[in-house]
Amino acid sequence: MAKVTDMVLWDKPGEKVLLLGNQAIARGALEANIAVYAAYPGTPSSELTDTMAIVAKKAGVYMEYSTNEKVAFETALAAAWSGLRAMTAMKHVGLNVAADTFLSSVGMGVEGGFVIMVADDPSMWSSQNEQDTRVYAKFANVPVLEPSSPHEAKEMTKYAFELSEKFKHFVILRTTTRTSHARGDVVLGELPEEIKAGKRKFGKFKKDPNRFVDVPANARKFHPIILEKIEKIREEFNDMPFNWIEGDESAKVGIIAPGLAYAYVKEALHWLGVEDVKVLKLGTPFPVPYGLLEKFMDSLEKVLIVEELEPVVEEQVKTWAYDRGLRIPIHGKDLVPRVYEMTTRRAVTAIAKFLGIDVPLDYGELDAKYNKALEIVPPRPPSLCPACPHRNSFYAIKKATRARGIYPSDIGCYTLGLLPPLNAVDTTVAMGGSIGIAHGLEIAQHGSLSEEQRKKEKKVIVATIGDSTFYHTGLPALANAIYNRSNVLIVVLDNLVTAMTGDQPNPSTGQTPHGMGKRIPIEDVARAMGADFVEVVDPYDIKKTYEVMKKALEVEGVSVVVSRQVCALYKIGQMRRRGEKWPIYYVDEEACTGCKVCINAYGCPAIYWDEEKRQARIEPSMCWGCGGCAQICPFGAFKPVEEGEE
Amino acid sequence: MKVREYNIVIAGVGGQGVLTAANILGWAALRAGYKVRMGEVHGMSQRFGSVVSYVRFGEEVYGSMVPEGKGDVILGFEPVEALRYINHLRQGGMVVVNTKPIVPVQVSMGKARYPEIDEIKKIVEEDFQAKWIGFNAEELAIKAGHVVTTNTVLIGALTQIPEFPLDAEHVREVIRLSVPPKAVDMNMKAFDLGIEAAKEILGL
Ligand code: SF4
Ligand code: SF4
Repeated sequence: MAKVTDMVLWDKPGEKVLLLGNQAIARGALEANIAVYAAYPGTPSSELTDTMAIVAKKAGVYMEYSTNEKVAFETALAAAWSGLRAMTAMKHVGLNVAADTFLSSVGMGVEGGFVIMVADDPSMWSSQNEQDTRVYAKFANVPVLEPSSPHEAKEMTKYAFELSEKFKHFVILRTTTRTSHARGDVVLGELPEEIKAGKRKFGKFKKDPNRFVDVPANARKFHPIILEKIEKIREEFNDMPFNWIEGDESAKVGIIAPGLAYAYVKEALHWLGVEDVKVLKLGTPFPVPYGLLEKFMDSLEKVLIVEELEPVVEEQVKTWAYDRGLRIPIHGKDLVPRVYEMTTRRAVTAIAKFLGIDVPLDYGELDAKYNKALEIVPPRPPSLCPACPHRNSFYAIKKATRARGIYPSDIGCYTLGLLPPLNAVDTTVAMGGSIGIAHGLEIAQHGSLSEEQRKKEKKVIVATIGDSTFYHTGLPALANAIYNRSNVLIVVLDNLVTAMTGDQPNPSTGQTPHGMGKRIPIEDVARAMGADFVEVVDPYDIKKTYEVMKKALEVEGVSVVVSRQVCALYKIGQMRRRGEKWPIYYVDEEACTGCKVCINAYGCPAIYWDEEKRQARIEPSMCWGCGGCAQICPFGAFKPVEEGEE
Repeated sequence: MKVREYNIVIAGVGGQGVLTAANILGWAALRAGYKVRMGEVHGMSQRFGSVVSYVRFGEEVYGSMVPEGKGDVILGFEPVEALRYINHLRQGGMVVVNTKPIVPVQVSMGKARYPEIDEIKKIVEEDFQAKWIGFNAEELAIKAGHVVTTNTVLIGALTQIPEFPLDAEHVREVIRLSVPPKAVDMNMKAFDLGIEAAKEILGL
């Protein structure tokens, strides 16, 4: 099969291909003749950015991995001010980071089309909270387009640029995990000549201080302008191609289904065998178009709104109905749960209740059987990879602090250090939060203690943060800790890529998708800021790492240890591609005493317990040859296999 | 004969190639002229945790996730993982599964127990009234040339189950086109070994 990234660039209008929702959006942006793209990766939005990274140069699009969402937002926004079509993408919590710029600049509008793709993660498959971007959009008065399938995601992206340009207003393209990470058949459209030719497009910024400087005198003018735009867009949405009414025209009951919920509603209706309902398929959960609503609600006796998370559409519909004096039952969150993601089961159950009919499957019986089955299913949470350098860093930190520290951590693979046996993560809040929390804990815990008490307590605070996260929002927190004379150890787990979201580069990598950028070593930054102790270690040398941690803990003030070793998953991937082999380790049965240190304190997933022999074993297909086990085993039982193996 | 809807649930451990297998089946279905929807796992859960992918195709499909109780088959890369998603299977469905366990760290630490394969099989057959097609696919993959072909072995077996709507040769063709050129022979062999294994179990 052709490579996905090739398909995104195929000049084959009409061709049907299988694309991930995020890739379909990338294709849509190209079909819309996008000029500038800037983003920070975050699941479930990352593949959109990764796809752009690969195709950008060929398509003549300027693309960058920015250091955080706010910076990305500003980069794309400025391009849109210059008349270019520009896009930024982020996950829902990323919008919190960009929120300051977002909410402050919305009144200024844009010249070229500006699309903000935000991927929500209901049920929090890979996130720290559940957050409905449509609420933000309503707050900011920015229209939201929400696709119901990968193909529609592509089409909507194109439309989003046009809409933005027409009203000179921001447009949010909102997806959820199940749109971003769904694959489906997508029909390719036309690519503009400029994209095919791969020629970079440049714009021109026309100075207009009354518009682009939000001093109070100017800003005061913005709010009414925004409200006026949103009402015009509401009108526009009455007959845009992604909103429609379908089903039995004479039906007395109706269902409103925004975005992806439409897919679940269709599925549920088919399963239930129900035909006499009208469905309002809504591609625009905000603002809800009143004209279309009027047409839909006319002659209905009751309505159900099936939407994921917050009652955004429900509240708009109810307000509208109240103002019209329309008194029919309008159901929504009373039948559809407000937390976690939509499922067919949820849609079926809600619709069955709404219509007073039977659910086609005995879920109670299914649940009972399933719960019984689950009793014998052991948990399998994700874990740090075999050979992951973070495992060694955590191991050394725990040892140096005699497991008596408090360990604030951050967002990334290393959050998995939370799990046993490492148990080396006590708090994780948000990107860059570890350093701020560490400083706060320091003040709260030690500020009132005398020097003597403090020594006796021997409690230390060790923050861990990744390289990408450090540059994302760790920098201001580090400056704050140093400036305020904090006493914490900050370990920057520098694996030279943004590993969790798929190995994207960052300033510590230096590499950009289009060649070398300028690498910024973390230790240089820490030194320049005035940290009291700065050292770089290789976590693959566990003893040395431990010694440096010990030394750092004795230093009064802010110590920064940069624990640098390339991400193992990334490294193994590269080696596999080059056809290279790596050494693997085995357990010497003579030497292994069955002490279980490797399992109970270190926890490489390639090591398992042989119940019969009561010894440790290594699963050869999972060993990535770091030699960490050999360093921590007190009896020298782990040894490299002479012959390298792939 | 075109099916209105066919639902495959692929379950395994992160890193086992669940996504690759899903993609192959998705493309085969697309080439057979079906509408296709697939749902998959990204991000944190991929790191050696439990993963699941859904492949749905037919004349009409909407959501990307196979609803509970609607799966026609569970393709299990690992026995416990097949059981973890068993609530997605319909009455009378099939479980095609690699019986080679991957023991979770919690089990090694003595904090959880790994069940006997027979216990899993019993639940599948008795409580869920499903057919169990279990064999050590990893062993066959190694026989074919490399453990990474385990997913090809399993897909081969999958194509043999009764009423499977995709033609085995079409699926084979997609595999041929998807794997690196130097791995084609190995994968073709793995595919055949999977077919044989399933035929033997099904008594074909
Ligand atoms: S992806 Fe890299 S950083 Fe993440 S757990 Fe694996 S080796 Fe560690
Ligand atoms: S060498 Fe040891 S610690 Fe490293 S991956 Fe192999 S088993 Fe795990």
